[in-house]
Amino acid sequence: MTIPFISTNSSLPAVSATVIGAVLIVGLGVTMGSYWTVVALNLFMWIALTQSWSLFSGMTGYISLGHVVAYGIGAYLVAVTFKMIPLWLSIPLGGLAAGLFALIVAIPVLRVRGPYFVILTFGLAELVKYILLYTETTFGKSSRLLFGAPKTEVLLYWVAALAVIATLITYFVGRSRFGKGLAAVREDETAAETIGVPVTRLKVLAFAASAVIPGMIGGLMAMRSTYFDVLQVFNPTISFSIVTMAIIGGAGDARGPILGALFMLGLAELLWSTAPQLYFILLGLFLIGFVLFAPNGLIGLIKRRKQPKGSVS
Amino acid sequence: MESLLSGQLLFAALVLGGLYALIALGLNLVYGTMRLLNIAHGDLLMIGGYGAFWCFTLTGMSPLLGLPVIAAITAGLGIALYYLLFRGQLSSGKPIPQIEANSLLLFFGVSVVTQNVIALAFSATPRAYRYLDDVYHFGQVAMTGNRIAALAIALTCLVAIILVLNRTMFGMSIKALIQNRDAARIVGINVERVQLTSIALGFGVAGIAGGLVSMAEQISPFMGFPFTIASFVVIIMGGLGNVFGGIIAGFLLAFIEIYAVALTSANMRSILLYGIFVAVLILRPQGLLGKARQS
Repeated sequence: MTIPFISTNSSLPAVSATVIGAVLIVGLGVTMGSYWTVVALNLFMWIALTQSWSLFSGMTGYISLGHVVAYGIGAYLVAVTFKMIPLWLSIPLGGLAAGLFALIVAIPVLRVRGPYFVILTFGLAELVKYILLYTETTFGKSSRLLFGAPKTEVLLYWVAALAVIATLITYFVGRSRFGKGLAAVREDETAAETIGVPVTRLKVLAFAASAVIPGMIGGLMAMRSTYFDVLQVFNPTISFSIVTMAIIGGAGDARGPILGALFMLGLAELLWSTAPQLYFILLGLFLIGFVLFAPNGLIGLIKRRKQPKGSVS
Repeated sequence: MESLLSGQLLFAALVLGGLYALIALGLNLVYGTMRLLNIAHGDLLMIGGYGAFWCFTLTGMSPLLGLPVIAAITAGLGIALYYLLFRGQLSSGKPIPQIEANSLLLFFGVSVVTQNVIALAFSATPRAYRYLDDVYHFGQVAMTGNRIAALAIALTCLVAIILVLNRTMFGMSIKALIQNRDAARIVGINVERVQLTSIALGFGVAGIAGGLVSMAEQISPFMGFPFTIASFVVIIMGGLGNVFGGIIAGFLLAFIEIYAVALTSANMRSILLYGIFVAVLILRPQGLLGKARQS
């Protein structure tokens, strides 16, 4: 049996829809003024982060609660080298550094499974945060001022491009042989290994790859505020938000993270400025509701409605 | 170097160890009997802390007398969550890894909701009250009354729970459920009732620990998280579901923490805590004291 590597013909509509949608939102955000530019920027940031998370955690079922570590490493590298290295170089380097970090820790970390893995990723991200915080305070650099960063519009173009790339990667990987291998890890790792799926190699590759785009996003978002603070870019809330969006949207399908990000951002737009606590309360309740009643997220609900009643999925 | 040998650090480590052991015990009971990973555990301490705070500032009553009420509140919360969220999960016949992963996400939702409900109700500003803060001297060692009380109550609770677990039929049925779920059911243990009691006991003990913490430290809606992490470190060190291992590990972590911070600096505390956490998980996920368990 041969599995086609990528079936390009049938993917044309999906690819063009992603690109056209992104271009439309960018155009809309820029023309409607600075407030909406920021909204669009946040939307693309969350899409890019959640898609990258989904590339590893959605496909393999290894839930990472420490994805912020990639974001933070990218942000840190760009902030430290600010005005020393041009941004077009430092931002990809930030992504590379995040990927390298993931690659180095992958082997020991990925041996740990199930709930241990979840809390380990969280602990690891916090450990990196406190080590960098300690280093920064020891050198008397508890926060760095970043003047002369690019305009929000420019950042939006970059972040939107990365969101499109992340979406397409998740989409194509899901349809590739690589993606089928990752899905096999999720379904039954031992069985997959027995029939010859190179599980370790696949897991390590996906783990490292899923850190690169968040690293670049971190670097770009560090340019958003005029100062850099370790606690801010390694904030565990970022990891939690990613997981919440992936659960609400539905992991394992490239459309899921987009729906999740739209949903969360819509809720944030309604409540964040007026009642931030209510926003978090509702977010928590939605997370509980989706885990209990719609474990495949919004995308799962949509798929179920499309299917005629009585059919077996 | 001499300060390391003083009784002052020993006392601090004992107080912290008693609290860690008590907090981790609650987490262990809930994990051991139901395989639920409660990352909202620290938030129960926060609720207990607020309970003691309001008990003291509104009624002027000793927060120690309020502890039973606090325990009842957090235990009630546990029972409510059991019926609302977890009973269906546990009887759904899902594989254990999936129940564990789901419980983590569900408790994360509970944690976010709890923190923000408390922040909405009582504002996010940290609060504190002064109770039993006179200093007593025993030889060279200075102790505040509230810390002595915290240590005494923590130890009393620990001993009481150990006695219940070892000496009563019901305690032994909890232990049986921790050891082997299916076998426990076969020998006629009422699994449902044991689960309900375990979650009530685990949550209630966490509320008491929170009341004790609030006598000596500030409370805020977001204070729970470091306690959640510390208790996870403890139960992983002691072996997940291993109640006695967890108690020993609680004191062990407290001694490491207090003495290592005394040797280096307070800034190292978090690095140390998470460093131990990551190292234990990578090197010995079955715990320092536990055997590898079959699930």
